[in-house]
Amino acid sequence: MKITYPHMGSLNMILKTMFEGIGVEVIDPPPSTNKTLTLGVRNSHEFACLPFKINVGNFIEALDRGADTIIMLGGIGPCRFGYYGQVQREILKDLGYDFKMIIVDPPHGRLIDFLKELASYFPNVDGKTALKSFVFAVKKMIAADKLEKFLLKLRAHEDKPGVTTKIYEEYMKKLEKAQNGKEVDKIVSEAMKKIKENANVRRKIQLKVALVGEIYMLLEPFTNMDISKSLNELGVEVTKTEYLSDYLINSAFKLPQRMEFKKNARGYLERDIGGHGLNTVANTVKYAKLNYDGVIHILPFTCTPEIVAQGIIAKISRDYNIPVMSLVYDENTGQAGYQTRLEAFVDLLYRKRMEVIC
Amino acid sequence: MSKTVGIPKGLLYYNFYPMWKTFFEGVGAKVVFSQDTNKKILDEGVKNCVEDACLPVKTYVGHVINLKEKDVDYIFIPRIVSVERKKYLCSKFLGLPDFIKSLIGDLPPIIDIEINYYKNNDEFTQNEFIKVGRMFGKTKDQSLKAYFEATHQQKKFESLLKEGLTNLEALKVWEGKNLVKEESNYDLKIAVIAHPYDIMDEYISMGIIEKLKNMGAQVYTMEMLQKDLILEGASMLSKEMFWNYERDILGAGLYFLKQKNVDGVIMVSAFGCGPNSMTEELLERIFKREKEVPFMLITIDEHSGEAGIMTRLEAFTDLLRFNKKAVMV
Repeated sequence: MKITYPHMGSLNMILKTMFEGIGVEVIDPPPSTNKTLTLGVRNSHEFACLPFKINVGNFIEALDRGADTIIMLGGIGPCRFGYYGQVQREILKDLGYDFKMIIVDPPHGRLIDFLKELASYFPNVDGKTALKSFVFAVKKMIAADKLEKFLLKLRAHEDKPGVTTKIYEEYMKKLEKAQNGKEVDKIVSEAMKKIKENANVRRKIQLKVALVGEIYMLLEPFTNMDISKSLNELGVEVTKTEYLSDYLINSAFKLPQRMEFKKNARGYLERDIGGHGLNTVANTVKYAKLNYDGVIHILPFTCTPEIVAQGIIAKISRDYNIPVMSLVYDENTGQAGYQTRLEAFVDLLYRKRMEVIC
Repeated sequence: MSKTVGIPKGLLYYNFYPMWKTFFEGVGAKVVFSQDTNKKILDEGVKNCVEDACLPVKTYVGHVINLKEKDVDYIFIPRIVSVERKKYLCSKFLGLPDFIKSLIGDLPPIIDIEINYYKNNDEFTQNEFIKVGRMFGKTKDQSLKAYFEATHQQKKFESLLKEGLTNLEALKVWEGKNLVKEESNYDLKIAVIAHPYDIMDEYISMGIIEKLKNMGAQVYTMEMLQKDLILEGASMLSKEMFWNYERDILGAGLYFLKQKNVDGVIMVSAFGCGPNSMTEELLERIFKREKEVPFMLITIDEHSGEAGIMTRLEAFTDLLRFNKKAVMV
C-alpha cells in the first residue's frame, strides 16, 4: 500500500511522520504548482471551489508517481468539503486510475472518532506505535505553527529582504526530517534565533493586519500566492487566524474555542453556518477590538459560507471603523493584480494611522 | 388594525408558501408579498448584494428591499437550518437573516425564527413558531393551533405536487384558482431538475418550463416524485448527500436515469452555486457513463440572455425527437 493525501499547509509533513511511524509507505504529492492547478481545473466542475481543484491535481500527480491509496477526510456538512472525496473518486475513476480511496467520515467531527476510524483501516498496526507516531506528528505540527507565527511577525522587520524566508524554508526542511522530540525543539529555537538576528528594522508606524477566511486558503501559500509574505515585505505584521494545530485542538476539545467564536460573532452571525464562516466573522470582530489596523479576508470563489461572511464583515467594518478587504481566489487570479490591491490597502492603512497622529 | 408581515417571494417561498401564509393568518397577521421578480427587483438585489452570491440570493435581496418600500411591520426571513432529519440546507440559509441584516440598513423588525428539524423533533420548531405567535399577542395554544393548521395546509400543497403539478401550479390550485387547461399533445417527456427557486421564478429562469411546454414537452420536476423514489435513486451512491435538496436532485436524476421514463434530463442551476457544483459533477459523469438518457446543464445568472436559452432548449428537444425517430426506424 502506497498512501497519498492532499496538500494543506504543513499537513503533508505531519501525515508523513505519522504514517512512516507506523511503517506505511507514503508517496508525497509533489508541491502544488500551476501544473497541479491546471490538472485540477481541467477535471473539475467550473464552480467547484479552488481547494477541490487543487486536491484533484494533487491526487493525479501522486497517482502518476505510483501511489495507490488516497486518504481523504469526509464530513457531515453543511460545507461541501464533506462530499469532496465522493466526487473526486468518480473524477479519478473516469480518468482511468486504479486506486483505493479511504474517506474517513468522523461521525461527530471529534478527533478521537477520526483516529478510531482511521485505525480500522490498518489492522496490523499496534495501538502503541500508532499513538506514539501520532503524538510525535502533533508535536511537529505545533512546532511548525509556532515557527510560522513567529515568522509572520518578525519578517516585517527583516534587515535584508528575502533572508528570513530562506532561513524559514531551510529549517522547515530540517523539521520535516527530524526524528525525535529533542531535535524538533532544537530546530525551532535555532530558527527563531536566526530569524530574530535578521529583524532589526523599526518603524514609526507599525501596521498590523489580521488574515481571516477559509482555512485551506489560509494554510496553503500556493493558493493564496503567499499573501503573508507579500504583506510582510510591505512592512506589515501579519496574524493568521487559522492554523492546523488550532484546528486540531479545536476539534479535540470542541467547546471552549467555539464558545469564544459564538460570543464574538454575537449580533452579527448567530450560528455556525458550515466551513469557516463563523470563524471569519468572529475573528474579524476579535481583531477589530484588538485595534488591528486592518483585516484581509481570503476565500475561494463560490465558497458559500465565506460569501455569507463577506456580506456580514462589511458591516463589521463600518461599525468598528476598521478597513476590511475581501480577496476572492480562483484559477484565474493573477499575482500582479492582487499585489496592487495589497499595496493600495496598505497605503490606505498608513494614511489612516497618519490622520490619527496629526 | 392587524399588523402586516412581508414575505419575500424568493428562495424557499416556492416550497413553503402555504405553511407560512396559513400560520401568519392564523395568528391574526396580514400577509403581504413582494412583487413578482422584475428588472427593478433584480437590479436592486444585484446592487445591494455581495457580488459572488448566487442569483437566487441576489433576487431575494431585491425582494426584501421591495417589501421594505411597502412599509410592512415585519419581514419574515426564517433561518432554515434543516427540514429533514440529519440533513442540512445550503449554508446561505443558515445565515440568511444575519446576511440580509448586514446588507440592507433600516429594515423593519425581522422575524428570524429558526426552522430546524435536524434532530427530527417537531418541538424545537413549534417553540419557534410559538415565539412568533407571542409577537402578535397570541397564547401558546392559539399559536400551536395555527401551526398545526399550517402544517396541514402544507401537506395538502405537497400532495398537489405529487399529482404532477409544478410548484407554481400547485400554489395556484392551493389558493383556489383554476388552472388554464392545457392541451396535452406532448410528444416528449423532459425532467427538469433544479432548486425550485431557480426554475419557479419565471423571471430569472426566463420561463424555462413554459418554453419547454410550448415546445411540446411534458415537464417533470423532482417535487413531483414520491420521496421513496428519490431515496431509491439516491441509494445508488455510496454516501448520501447531507443537503436534503441536493440529495433530492441527485436522487431524482438517478431515478430518471434508471427508469428511463423520460426522454431527457435538464439540470438548471445558478451561476456559482456551491452545492450544485458537486451534484452536477456527479450526475453528469454518471449520465455520460451510462449513455442512456441525454442530459443537459443550463446555468443561469443575471446576464443570461433569453435567446441563448431558447437556442439550447430547441437544440435539446430536436435532439430528443431525432433520437426517438432513430429508435422507431
